[in-house]
Amino acid sequence: MKIKVKLYTILEKYAKGKVLEDNTIILHKDTTLQELTRYFNIPDKIGIVFLVNDSPQNKEYRLCEGDKVKIFSFIGGG
Amino acid sequence: MDSIYGYYGKQLRVSLDSKEILKENIDASILRKYLGGAGYAARVLYDEIPKGTHPLSPENKLIFATSPLTANRIPGGGSIMLCFKSPLTNAWGESRCGGDFGPDLKKAGYDFLLIEGKSEEPVYLVINDDNIEFRSAIGLMGKTVNEKLKIIREELSDPKISVMCIGPAGEKLVKIATVMFEHRAAGRCGAGAVMGSKNLIGIAVKGSHKTPIAQPAKLTETIKTCLKILKESDFSANLKKHGTTGDMAANDAAGDWPTKNWHSNSWGKAEQLYDQFFNKHLVKNHGCYTGCPIACGRISEVREGRFKTPVHEGSEYESLSAFTAFVFNENIEAAIYATYLCNEFGIDTISTGAVIAFAMECYENGILKKEEVGGLDLSWGNPDVLSELVRMISLREGIGDTLAEGVKIASERWGGDSEKYAIHGKGLEAPAHDPRSGKVLGVAYGTANRGMCHIHPLEGMAYDSGKMDWGLMKYGVPDPNTLDRWDEKGKGKIVKILQDALILPDILNTCKFFMYAGIHLDHLAELLSAVTGWDIDGQELLKIGERVMNLQRLFNTREGFRRDDDLLPERMKQKPAFGFYEHEDRCTIKDFEGMLDEYYEARGWDTETGIPTKEKLLELELEE
Repeated sequence: MKIKVKLYTILEKYAKGKVLEDNTIILHKDTTLQELTRYFNIPDKIGIVFLVNDSPQNKEYRLCEGDKVKIFSFIGGG
Repeated sequence: MDSIYGYYGKQLRVSLDSKEILKENIDASILRKYLGGAGYAARVLYDEIPKGTHPLSPENKLIFATSPLTANRIPGGGSIMLCFKSPLTNAWGESRCGGDFGPDLKKAGYDFLLIEGKSEEPVYLVINDDNIEFRSAIGLMGKTVNEKLKIIREELSDPKISVMCIGPAGEKLVKIATVMFEHRAAGRCGAGAVMGSKNLIGIAVKGSHKTPIAQPAKLTETIKTCLKILKESDFSANLKKHGTTGDMAANDAAGDWPTKNWHSNSWGKAEQLYDQFFNKHLVKNHGCYTGCPIACGRISEVREGRFKTPVHEGSEYESLSAFTAFVFNENIEAAIYATYLCNEFGIDTISTGAVIAFAMECYENGILKKEEVGGLDLSWGNPDVLSELVRMISLREGIGDTLAEGVKIASERWGGDSEKYAIHGKGLEAPAHDPRSGKVLGVAYGTANRGMCHIHPLEGMAYDSGKMDWGLMKYGVPDPNTLDRWDEKGKGKIVKILQDALILPDILNTCKFFMYAGIHLDHLAELLSAVTGWDIDGQELLKIGERVMNLQRLFNTREGFRRDDDLLPERMKQKPAFGFYEHEDRCTIKDFEGMLDEYYEARGWDTETGIPTKEKLLELELEE
C-alpha cells in the first residue's frame, strides 16, 4: 500500500533515502506506526507523537492505503 | 576576604537612596550551600526582605546574581539571574537573561549586585571594575530599549559595553515589565517594574578581571568533554537550525500548545505558522552570549507590509505561541511585530499574549464593551489590535492600565466570569505549554515557586512527551519510556526529583537547554569542582537544589502562600473544546489533589498546608 509520511525537525534525517520526493512510501498492508518507526531506524528512546490524517494515533495503529502520516519529536526547551 | 576559587568573594551593594556603594565580602560559609544565582539570592532575599514588603517599595531588593560557572568559556555560562519579590505575584521572583551581562559583571570583579532603596531622580549605573558611578537618566525616560542602549553607549563612548535596561513599561511600573539585555529579556515576574520603582533605568558593566580557577587543566579538559557532547548532539544541531520555535508543530500535535486562552491544547495551525516563520522571516541564528556553541537565538524580520520590522533578535517559541495560539491569531507577521514591540517597550511576551487573550475573551463575552476599549475590535484572532494593545499596556493607556496589572488583578477588577478566563498560577500568567499533554507539567505548574512557569525549574512536558531523563535515572527518576504521559500516579514523586535537579541551572546560571543536549548534573558537578576546587558531585548538587527549592518555598509561605495557592485553573484540567484532543479523555487532569499529596509527601512538606516540616528544614540545614 502507498502512504504519505513526513518527519519533522529532529527526525528529518531518518527519512533520507527512505521516502520518495512527494513523501510517498510503499509498505506492507497493516503496517503499524511502531513498525514504521523501525523502518526509519528511529531510536526507541525518542519521544514521538503521530498524527494520521490529522488525528493523534498511538504506535499500535495499523496504517491503511492513502494514510497521511506526520511524525514529530521534540527539540525540547522553550 | 581571601580569594575563593570561582568567586571574587565580593558583592556590590548599591543603595539608591543615599547613593552609597559598598563592596562587601561574601560570607564564604554559605557559598557551598547555595552556590550562586537563584540559590545565593534566595538566601539573601529571605534574610533581608521582611515579610509583607511591597514589591514596588524601596524596601524590595533586586539582585543580579552570577555563579562560579558564569563565564563565556563555560558551555552555557552566559546568563545573569535577576531575583526579587515579584510585583505580579507578591511571591518569590526570578528571571534569567541570556547575554554577556553576567560574564561581564563577573569580569568587573563582583559575584553579585544588590540594588536597594529608590533614587530621587532617574539614574543609570556604570560599573567599570572598581570605578562605579551614577549618571542621570532623565534623557532616557520614555525611550525604547534600543534607543536607551544607543544613548548609554554613546554617552560612555563605548559601543560594546554590556547594558541591561528597562523600557517605557518598566518606567510605568507595568507589572509584566522586563529588564532587557538588548533584545534578550529577564522577562517573567515583573523585574522591570521593580527596577523602575527604584528609578534605576539601566546598568552598564565592563571589567578586566579573570576569575581565579582552582584546577585550570581539569577545567579545560571538562569543557572539551562538554563541547564534544554538544557537537555530537542532535538536540544542539536542531536547536541551532530551528531554535525553540522548531517545536511549535510538535507541541501542537502533542496537545502541548494552549490555544484560544486555553480552550484547547492544540489547534492544528502550528505547522503552517512555523513554516512561514522559518521560510519567510528567519534571517539567521544567533548566540545570546559571546561564544555559545549552540546559538539557538533567532534573528528575523518582516520585510514589508503593515507589520514591517527591522532585522531584530527574536522571536522565540513562547513569544510566537503567545501572539498566535493564545490569541487565536493566524497572522505570523502580526505575531513577529508584536514580539518586536514587546522587546522595545520592555514587557514580557508571554504575559502580554496571555493578558490580550484574556481581554479578548472578556470582550467576546460582553464583560468589556467596545467603548471601554477605545473602540478596538478585540474579537478573537484580530491581528490588528495586537501591536496597539502592546503599546497601551506598556504605557498604561486606557484598558492597558488594567491589563498592565496582569490577569489576576484585572479579573478581580472586572469581576463576573472574568475570573474563569484569568489563566495563571500564583498570579503569573501561564506559558505556552499545556499539562493536558502530560501530567508532570501539571504538578510543576502548580508548585513552581515563581508562579506558573514551564521552565523554572522544570519543563515537565520534556519528560512526559519528549521522554528526556536528563541523566537522572541514576538519581531515582523512572525511565520516561516506561510511563504513559497521561498517567497521574507517581508523577508527584517524579516532579520532586526533577525540580531538585533542573533548578541547578537556575542556581549555576547555566543555560538549561544544555542539559537537554547532554550536559547533565554530573558534568555540572565536574565543571564546578574544577572551577572551585571543591570535590562536589551530582548528589550534592541535588541536595543543594532541594535546599534552594525549600528556601524559596519558605519565602512564599512566610508571605502567606499555602497549599491552596498550588493550584491549576479549572480550564487547564478539562477536556479541550476543540482540536486534536477534543475527544481524548486521558488528557484531562482528574486528581490534581492526589498528585499534590504525593508531591508534598515526597518533599517532606505538611500535606495540609504545604509548609516544609521542621524535620525537612533540619535535614536541609535551613532551620531558623
